[in-house]
Amino acid sequence: MKARKPLSIFLAVQKALFLRELGMRFSVSKSGLFWTFFEPFMQVMVMVLIKLLIFGKSANTFDFAAFLALNFTAYNMFKNILIKSMGSFKANKGLFVYKQVKPIDTIVARTLVELFITGVIILFFIAIGFYFHFDLNIQHLPLVSLGFIWLAIFSFSLGLFIAVSNTFYPSIGRVIHILMIFIMFSSAVFYTIEMIPASLQNILLYNPLTHFMEMIHGNYFLSLNDHFVDYTYMLLWTLSLLYAGLFFYRRFEERIISL
Amino acid sequence: MIELKNVTKYFQTKQGRNYILKDMSITIPSGTNIGILGRNGAGKSTLMRMLGHIEFPNKGTISSNHTFSWPLGLGGGFVGKMTGRANVKFVCRLYGRTPKQIEETIAYVKDFSELGDYFEMPIETYSSGMKGRLSFGLSLAFDFDYMLIDETLSVGDARFKKKSKEALMKKIENCHVLLVSHDMGTLRDICDAGIVVNQGQMYYYNDINDAITEYENINKKAK
Repeated sequence: MKARKPLSIFLAVQKALFLRELGMRFSVSKSGLFWTFFEPFMQVMVMVLIKLLIFGKSANTFDFAAFLALNFTAYNMFKNILIKSMGSFKANKGLFVYKQVKPIDTIVARTLVELFITGVIILFFIAIGFYFHFDLNIQHLPLVSLGFIWLAIFSFSLGLFIAVSNTFYPSIGRVIHILMIFIMFSSAVFYTIEMIPASLQNILLYNPLTHFMEMIHGNYFLSLNDHFVDYTYMLLWTLSLLYAGLFFYRRFEERIISL
Repeated sequence: MIELKNVTKYFQTKQGRNYILKDMSITIPSGTNIGILGRNGAGKSTLMRMLGHIEFPNKGTISSNHTFSWPLGLGGGFVGKMTGRANVKFVCRLYGRTPKQIEETIAYVKDFSELGDYFEMPIETYSSGMKGRLSFGLSLAFDFDYMLIDETLSVGDARFKKKSKEALMKKIENCHVLLVSHDMGTLRDICDAGIVVNQGQMYYYNDINDAITEYENINKKAK
């Protein structure tokens, strides 16, 4: 067999895994395709309804439904990459008989699939927005896009780190599942940091995910801004997690393969 | 040529370390079909997986300039929820085949494995014999220097066994095999040389018959 270059092997593996993940998501059950797009829509509807019932029609400077749709799309991407990464080694164990498939490849592929699905969900929301004549003006489109991609890299790094630890200490996965609710409430998904009392602001801003959410909705809505966002803090978190994840992965790669 | 340098491989058990290989250095010459013999649990399959780079020694290195297939066992490496066709496609993509080549491979595997309508059904509906047939057919569609075979020749009915043996004999005109088997007849038919794995050591024999004699001696002593 002709020898291939490492990059072309990596690309072939990624393509195969990506198409396989997508195929499994959609072709196995027809409802899979439906729920992938309908679930985030339902989530937003329920939240808007709850807000209307509890707080009434308060005057926001931005469209609250669009705000929730945007935040939930970003948060769901983070959550899905993290959860899918955590189970990735176990779920794809059978594939490691092909020596070109490394455990990290499965996490990269799952991240790419989530990024892709997020993109399609965004298009779905935009289509709804157009149909109902929502205001679709975006303040800084490049920064919003960067926010999503950066968040995907951050989630990948965290996912890789936790996937490796989870392999040797399965309790970590359970703790993360429990923590997810707490993370959701503490990361500016339902609110902007500006709405929060100053004493609480400083605590919430320790959560790196809060910065990502602020970056994304701050740059999206014309009436919001990103002056709470500390880009250096985000970069530090991303790089440290990526380094730690790759470091432990390299150390334990062989043990993960022959698990 | 396959070179093992100070290779140590063990499995941690509650009673301590169970050594498969203990500080083993050996060079296996190229150009032969090799049978691997040993008692149950001696580490034949582990040795094969290490040669195929999907299991790693605890110490030492194994190096070779050859390509190895994935270990052909009973349907490992398939995804249960996907159809036979989708699984074949997936493996083709892993090896970087073009869409046209993929179509050819699919046609070949479908024909060889004789799965009929089951080829379009999820793997989880297959019997183990059917999985074995698919796996074996798929491996024949690729060219490796060495094929790693773990007792797969025993899948299917008598007719399919004969067919796969013939296909394998044709295949090994261009490549070689590393075969784990307990069937001395098969080993004699296919292999030229042999490796016996026993109690942390492995021995290479240029003649498979010598390997079989040694293996029988080990079995006698064990009794």
